[in-house]
Amino acid sequence: MSRTQTTVGMCAIVLAVAAIAIVSAQSKPAGQIPRLADGKPDFTGMWDNPKEPGSRAPATVFDKAKMAPFVPGGEALFYEPRTGDPRHDEPRAFCMPSGFPSAFLGPYPVQFIQTPQHLVMATEFMNVTRIIPLDGRPHKTDIEPTFYGEPVGRWEGDTLVIEGRNYKRWSLDDWYYQNPKEYRMHSEAFHSIERLRRVDADTISYEFTVDDPKIFTKPWSVQWEMKRHPEWEKTGLFEMVCNENNRCEGGKCKDSK
Amino acid sequence: MHNRLMTVMVTAGLLLAAALPVAAHHSFSAEYDSNQPVKVTGTVTRVDWQNPHIWFFVDVKDAQGKVTNWGFSGGPPGVLQRRGINRDALKAGDVVVVEGFRARDGSNNASGGKVTFPDGRSVFTASNEDKAPR
Repeated sequence: MSRTQTTVGMCAIVLAVAAIAIVSAQSKPAGQIPRLADGKPDFTGMWDNPKEPGSRAPATVFDKAKMAPFVPGGEALFYEPRTGDPRHDEPRAFCMPSGFPSAFLGPYPVQFIQTPQHLVMATEFMNVTRIIPLDGRPHKTDIEPTFYGEPVGRWEGDTLVIEGRNYKRWSLDDWYYQNPKEYRMHSEAFHSIERLRRVDADTISYEFTVDDPKIFTKPWSVQWEMKRHPEWEKTGLFEMVCNENNRCEGGKCKDSK
Repeated sequence: MHNRLMTVMVTAGLLLAAALPVAAHHSFSAEYDSNQPVKVTGTVTRVDWQNPHIWFFVDVKDAQGKVTNWGFSGGPPGVLQRRGINRDALKAGDVVVVEGFRARDGSNNASGGKVTFPDGRSVFTASNEDKAPR
């Protein structure tokens, strides 16, 4: 082997090692994610609604195959028969709240604003806003249950864990469940657990766990992800007033003139 | 059965099979009948650029010359604006072909997920309005 060939060969090796080092550095996303001054990952930004990883469709139907078995009587509590009365069967068609997590699963952006004390999670859909304390405080024991519950966050390393309690019995379904005979609800024992981890600059890994001991024998989870859309920051979230012109609420349309 | 005489094609089956459920503020099935696809050609008379969905109205003339005004629900204004579609996309006087699904109450209202102009341009085809016939 000539000296020139050796030099070329050495250069190739050096370049290869350098390339591996660069690729290796790029595959350490934890070092690249934005952080607040306190060192916690910063989720601030405009995000698309949660989707199944790799999916572009807003597919967030809770798959029965992923659900835990029912406790005795749980199935009857879970499946709410449709009655033909649209106010009962689809209250959201009357601009009633979607509840959680349904309101965050539609095709609308979600804006996160984070401080050391709180994460604000706002969706354009009906301008629903969750203000989530991050200090792991205990849930309240003396409040009425609500459609959106009481979320409390805490950190487990770089993972933000949000536990929700104090939910009113309401629909668990997203909008894509079209069974004409029944829809699916959670009980007032519903306990939601979200685990958010910023895996790179543009992606949040989002595990959603349903724990409802009146319905299921054990908690069960689905895996979603959220993608960042900085281009949506130009306009921000648009106003979305459901009652402005809900012309066909419950399937009965108003006259056009 | 006046509706059968109108320039409205209600063709269940293939269109339904191709329909994709994409939702907005409600379950699609609460307001529209996926067994009643609708396709009309007519002239836009009015556009209501309002939440939770835009609505536009189209005068449709039947074979006897009788004109019926149809209402069509489109995407949410914010969702459309984010995709660069604003209220100027559709104006009174525009001639359009609209495809969608009829309201459950049987009135002359429908989801209007797909709008095509005579020159072939389409708007709202990837709309987040409910079920868009593809």
